[in-house]
Amino acid sequence: MRRSVSISVYEVVGSHLSVASNDGQKVYNRLVTALKEDTGVVLSFRNVSTLTSAFLNAAIGQLYGKFQEETIRDLLQVEDMDSDDLELLKRVVDTAKLYFKDPQRFDREVGNILEDDND
Amino acid sequence: MKFDIPVIRHDRTSFSVFADLFASTEDCIFEDIEFDMRATNWFDADMCAVFGALLYNISENLNSVRLTNVPSQIEDILSRNSFLSHYGREKVPDHGGTTISYQRCDVEDDRYFSDYIENEFIRRTEMPRMSTRLLRKFRESVFEIFSNAVQHSSTEMGIFSCGQFFPRRNRLDFTVADLGVGMYRNVKEFLKTDITPAYAINWATEGQNTTKRGDIPGGLGLKLLRDFIDLNGGCIQIVSDSGYWQRRNRQTLKSQMQNPYPGTIVAVEINTADPHSYVLSSELNQDDIF
Repeated sequence: MRRSVSISVYEVVGSHLSVASNDGQKVYNRLVTALKEDTGVVLSFRNVSTLTSAFLNAAIGQLYGKFQEETIRDLLQVEDMDSDDLELLKRVVDTAKLYFKDPQRFDREVGNILEDDND
Repeated sequence: MKFDIPVIRHDRTSFSVFADLFASTEDCIFEDIEFDMRATNWFDADMCAVFGALLYNISENLNSVRLTNVPSQIEDILSRNSFLSHYGREKVPDHGGTTISYQRCDVEDDRYFSDYIENEFIRRTEMPRMSTRLLRKFRESVFEIFSNAVQHSSTEMGIFSCGQFFPRRNRLDFTVADLGVGMYRNVKEFLKTDITPAYAINWATEGQNTTKRGDIPGGLGLKLLRDFIDLNGGCIQIVSDSGYWQRRNRQTLKSQMQNPYPGTIVAVEINTADPHSYVLSSELNQDDIF
């Protein structure tokens, strides 16, 4: 049976405000250790009152640069998140997938902005 | 050297006034600089963030700053929001008042900034009655603005913030200013093409655009803010270099100022009577996230 650990964001950050990128990095470091060892993680957001995209990008979005989507899907679960926070996390995850998968987007964006400038 | 400060409002004209003052004082060193506020018969208090950035920048070059002829009603509000206590005046408590304190904090002071937001927005009973969800969205937005400044400004001068609420107008203004690299330079260097500062700001607030490189993705903070303001019926104004960008009623306005502001300003107006429930259109399942 696969091992599984629980990580409390509140415990790692030490505050109910999970807003800073460097706090997200602390969570990321623990997640990486577990995922490298093929260990499942239940990441709990209990007692976290405020989240930002900066925190979630560092804690979770960054994982997509290191692990396959399937690995993350298999090993990582979140709990104790309300629907607002889940929606924010979903946006962070979708953006991270694009960020790491689509290097051509930069060229497209340049094209878009030049078209805009010519309007 | 003496400068007159006119009426200061939370708008493009006053952002230009401050950009002009930055331009006029950028070469000053060891000077005695006086700001005469005789004609300042109105000062939108959240603009203390920008005024504070200007004065800090001037002091950084070892100039002496004096504020003179401050009208009594302006002195009162700028004392209650702690701004004038940075310039030799007494700190006056704002019991039951409507100010949100002026603060300067360093980029590594995120905990300090968090405490400031908690103290100013959460623990105060005199805050306008906002729905729990709106208050939460607002707090998140403020943190997104701060995080954006921390991640992109590379500033060593700190981040300046101040606010004010207007109970009868159901409005809350909050402004964050930094003296960092600025959105324009970041976007221009990233895109490697010649664009106007206003378009650089627009680019940074759209789609999945981000100038972030490296291991940690980015590119959401300003979009979340823009989405929230669109729903809330408020307004965002962003200044970077000589670019001015405004979003109100889902309409974007871009223009060019005469002089550049050496950093980024993000000013938000929140409609505190927003009846929007912020209920999501579809409930997400935890299993569908990754």
